[in-house]
Amino acid sequence: MMVLLQVIVAGLLIGSVYALFSSGLTLVWGMMNVINFAHGEFVMLGMYVAFWGLTVFHLGVIGFGFAAAVLLFILGVLVYFLLIKSVMRGPMLAQILSTFGLLLVLRYSAFMAFGSDFVGLPEDILGPSYNVGGILLSAPKVVAGVTALVITLGLHFMLTKTMLGSRILAVAENRNAAMLMGIRPDRMQAIAWGISGASAGLAGALIATFYPVSATVGESLGLIAFVVVTFGGFGSVPGAMLAGLIIGLIESLSAFYFGPVYQDVFVYALFVLVLWVRPHGLMGKAP
Amino acid sequence: MTLLKAENVTKSFGGFQALKGASLSVNTGEIVGLIGPNGAGKSTFFNCLVGDMTPSSGKILFSQEEVSLKSAEYHAKLGIGRTFQLPATFEELTLLENVMVGAFLRHPHVKDARQKAMEVLELTGMGEQINLKAKTLGTPGRKRLEIARVLATEPKMMLLDEALAGLTPVEVQSAITLVKKIHQTGITLVIVEHIMEVIIHLTQRVLVLNQGEVIATGAPKEVVNDPLVIQAYLGASYARTAALGAKPA
Amino acid sequence: MGETTRLDGESALNKVIEKILWCVLALFFLLFPLSFNNPYYEQLGSLVLLAAISASAWNLIGGYAGQVSVGNVVFFGAGAYLPLLIYKLWGLSPLYGFPVGMLISVLIAVLIGIPTLRLSGHYFSMATIAVAELIRILVSNWDFVGASVGLTGPAVAKNWSDLVFKSSVPYYYMFLSVLVLILVTTYLIDHSRFGYYLRAIKAGERAARSLGVPVSRYKLYVFMISAAFTSLAGSLYAVKFGFIDPSSGFGLLISVNMIIVAALGGAGRLLGPLLGAVILIPLQAETNSIFGGRGTGLTYILYGAIIVLIARYEPGGLLRLWDLFVDKYLSARSTK
Repeated sequence: MMVLLQVIVAGLLIGSVYALFSSGLTLVWGMMNVINFAHGEFVMLGMYVAFWGLTVFHLGVIGFGFAAAVLLFILGVLVYFLLIKSVMRGPMLAQILSTFGLLLVLRYSAFMAFGSDFVGLPEDILGPSYNVGGILLSAPKVVAGVTALVITLGLHFMLTKTMLGSRILAVAENRNAAMLMGIRPDRMQAIAWGISGASAGLAGALIATFYPVSATVGESLGLIAFVVVTFGGFGSVPGAMLAGLIIGLIESLSAFYFGPVYQDVFVYALFVLVLWVRPHGLMGKAP
Repeated sequence: MTLLKAENVTKSFGGFQALKGASLSVNTGEIVGLIGPNGAGKSTFFNCLVGDMTPSSGKILFSQEEVSLKSAEYHAKLGIGRTFQLPATFEELTLLENVMVGAFLRHPHVKDARQKAMEVLELTGMGEQINLKAKTLGTPGRKRLEIARVLATEPKMMLLDEALAGLTPVEVQSAITLVKKIHQTGITLVIVEHIMEVIIHLTQRVLVLNQGEVIATGAPKEVVNDPLVIQAYLGASYARTAALGAKPA
Repeated sequence: MGETTRLDGESALNKVIEKILWCVLALFFLLFPLSFNNPYYEQLGSLVLLAAISASAWNLIGGYAGQVSVGNVVFFGAGAYLPLLIYKLWGLSPLYGFPVGMLISVLIAVLIGIPTLRLSGHYFSMATIAVAELIRILVSNWDFVGASVGLTGPAVAKNWSDLVFKSSVPYYYMFLSVLVLILVTTYLIDHSRFGYYLRAIKAGERAARSLGVPVSRYKLYVFMISAAFTSLAGSLYAVKFGFIDPSSGFGLLISVNMIIVAALGGAGRLLGPLLGAVILIPLQAETNSIFGGRGTGLTYILYGAIIVLIARYEPGGLLRLWDLFVDKYLSARSTK
């Protein structure tokens, strides 16, 4: 019973990290109808920033987390201006190819630069595991999970309650109408891409504290992001939050019952199921 | 004979009710206009009628057959054709190819479809440009191409969504001529428009939509002077002024 | 502005030139095995043809219909595994595996296609990656099909149907026949109502629907055809190389290859994939030999960059660039 509870808690914690990096992806998708196939690679880069931040610059978690968020924010904005802005209006083929090509460039540049070996951050970076009422909690996972939850809620709050947020949502809702109200969609879209990058980067930095870092980690993380955004619903940040938690839970439970090898399989199978049964996910607009 | 009939069609998007119960009846051979201020629900109603959207409730019948839940493809097969408010021509295809896609509905063989397409393009005055790509056309050309494309599907009824918006007065005249020509071949027409002169010129009967409901229906000249209609477009105080006999500026 | 209608005299000349070029092309490919004393060319010829077949198959769904499948590798893998599996289980000729692989691939295509092709393109693309990865993981852990070790084919031929040939020549002509088959199929589709409808779907689904085009159904059909041919490519690969494992059968990079080969040459054009294959496969062989193992990484950075550039500047690929060049040149001529 205790073990099951532990599995559930661990699942929710990792799920909240999934929610974090997926919320950026769904925001961009809802706004511009563009799916960033390289999103997993943004997370991967966040992980490497964390690794370097620690090993080269001796930054603490807050330091490298912040660095990852900022650097990936910049990358997101750059990608928007250099690439997305031009392909957005064009044929679907070009849109999908563009971020897919980006995936290859980012993943294999990392591969060339860092090799195919894993690197890891020291396990005790955030303290040892704690025993809370019989449940074993690893400190990095708790910090990651809680931080992710807070940031994701913060993002939702920012979007729904602040001026900037409502401008972003206005552009997402109806680009032309927003323009007529004096909002500059270009700027808002760039910011959305920045947020998407930052959330991915920060999530990566958090994940790096308990998961090995390698160039190819973007592959499965990217797919998890797609599953979460589909499950949560096109364009819905609250949907992504909920879906992230559920996916994390499912992953954890299936790893527990069927072994870690098959945990991805369950997630992907769920994805196909969702597409069959309810493609607009939990909270999305109908596709 | 009633060709198209809509009974109490409603449509909600999440919490927002765009259509609160719109009804319509179009007889064979008529030209009916559909007008209303922005946000009245015209597009929503239009899309439900052509099968692009499914109504939340209500019935839509074409030739007595219920089509409320049928797809846009099905509507096209039955003989309901539509154009788009923002032209949706196949940009990378030539004019001929655009129209052929329409012609294929009734003529599955390439040769026949090509012939039909060329005939329609001649009829609509674009015979010289058949090998140009659609993207080289300006807006009036694209609108005309859309009409040609739909004509090639040999529809019984065409619904035109603001087909004359954005055209210069000369182009409007030319478009009106085309529409009349189409009507003469026996096609029933439903026209959504903002330009009142066009409505008065072309239509025999008009429906006015406001806030998701039909607020007036009748001959164009009557409807245009109906205080309810004026109120819908211009506000209550304006309507009162108009009713008192003062001429609207 | 607009495309000039070519003068009659010029168009007759163009037709003759076109026919000559086709003959030259056909002759080149037919006689290529004459260069096979050089084992480098031997290998290259088959690889180019194989890449052209897979890319042409992808071209149907991705280029003509505009639905970007990033997981076509799943059909390749199914087609590659079945012949070797049948040989391993029952000692039967791998040839039996060809149709079985195609059948399974078409079934998978239907399973993926039915829910996703009626949604916007992104769902379809994501679903194809997910399913391909799903199957790769399952196959990697399934001992019945060799798990991560994979399967091998017959080492020594009992008779011709084992498809083990000492020389590369029979393989080459097998591949060439299949390539011709898919090109002919593509040509026939393109010039039929099916083809026009596909291009309409790519150009504007909503408008296509309003004209009576059964959009979801046609997308599914073309996806099924694409799956069947991709499966054939996989089967051919398996019998030539005599070996298959999860990464050579289901690796994402195989999908990438299909896409870039088609997109570089010209997605949605009959000979685009072949052109792409002729350029990229030798290039890939070169970078592999110069850079060795690490070369793979460099190749994919390059591929990624090329894909991004194509997407950003000319989604129509090289053939489109060629068209633009010819137009410029020709209209310059006709104004003289």
